[in-house]
Amino acid sequence: MATTTPHAAAAHAKHETGPSRLVLNWLVLCGLTFATFGFSQLPISPGMHLAAALTISTVKVVLVVLIFMHLWHGEGINRIVFVTSFVFLLLLMFFVMADVVTRFPLSNSRIPPMPQVDQKMMPSGMPPGMSNVPQGHSGGPGPSSGEAGKQ
Amino acid sequence: MQSSAARKMTPEGWLEPPPLPHHYDTIENHQAALRFGMWLFLGTEVLLFAGIFLGYFVFRHYFPESFEQAARHLSVVLGTANTLLLLTSSLTVALAHHNAEHGKNRNAFWLLMASVSMGAGFLGIKAVEYTEKFHEGALPGKFFSFSEITAPGGPVFYVVYFFSTGLHALHVVVGMSLLTWVAIRCWRKEFSPTYYAPVENAGLYWHLVDLVWIFLYPLLYLV
Repeated sequence: MATTTPHAAAAHAKHETGPSRLVLNWLVLCGLTFATFGFSQLPISPGMHLAAALTISTVKVVLVVLIFMHLWHGEGINRIVFVTSFVFLLLLMFFVMADVVTRFPLSNSRIPPMPQVDQKMMPSGMPPGMSNVPQGHSGGPGPSSGEAGKQ
Repeated sequence: MQSSAARKMTPEGWLEPPPLPHHYDTIENHQAALRFGMWLFLGTEVLLFAGIFLGYFVFRHYFPESFEQAARHLSVVLGTANTLLLLTSSLTVALAHHNAEHGKNRNAFWLLMASVSMGAGFLGIKAVEYTEKFHEGALPGKFFSFSEITAPGGPVFYVVYFFSTGLHALHVVVGMSLLTWVAIRCWRKEFSPTYYAPVENAGLYWHLVDLVWIFLYPLLYLV
């Protein structure tokens, strides 16, 4: 718009993302939103749905961070901060989920199984027909962790 | 930074930048420090929301049927509309940053106000959705009385739903307040090519709010 100090102008040119690129990025993000919706309507397995949704969301996040948040042209230190926070997020997710999905009932234990956790999640005063949890259903979250607690 | 009254208007049509704190060599140095501080804060925000997303994945693993049933009872149309609203508000915030950086304070003001309006629209749509859930009894924990979710774990889904969208909505309110504050400062023509860090940082916060929603939308509404 007007003149600035040469120093500021140089700092400027360094991280410039013009309006046209911002609008283009917005169009791509809207397109990807409809793509997420489209994928959710396809007749594929729930696991594939989750994978597709997370992949497209990750692409959208990368676009927002690089273009809207100027990390593409930004200082390297800020990139390290953000990438590190995401790495710790992934570590947390990975190890907790690795624990959760590999738990199993201690079938050779003499300790009787815990009451169903599923039942506990159903509030009392539920209308009849609501608590349709099959009795003796195993594989819930309770048994392995719960039995240890009972000892 | 607070008192703009004492600062003189430059010939270009914006206020002089605030006095440089003595421990910075240059104003660029100062702005880079402000930006770095904001990114550190956003890193802690990522970890705050990490707990919520972790809860989502753990409970989804335990109660897959009720999570799928509950997702079908959320309005995809309203969820998608909210996603597009937030994406568009992120665009206007990014454009406001661009304008403030070029000293076009009035343009930046109107773009920021557009973002704040879209934030309000987002909260309005959220309020419509919440009202519907309250009427259906699709509520967390012991308040759950929604007869259409028959699989176990319905109350747990709504714990995740209300806490994730609730914490996100709180961030939308904070973001709208920040954007309004920098919009007022734009109106007073405080920003220039050498000083625009407040617009940039409020914008970064708003983009983070958008990022969280980008993940919440498919996880809650679609899969």
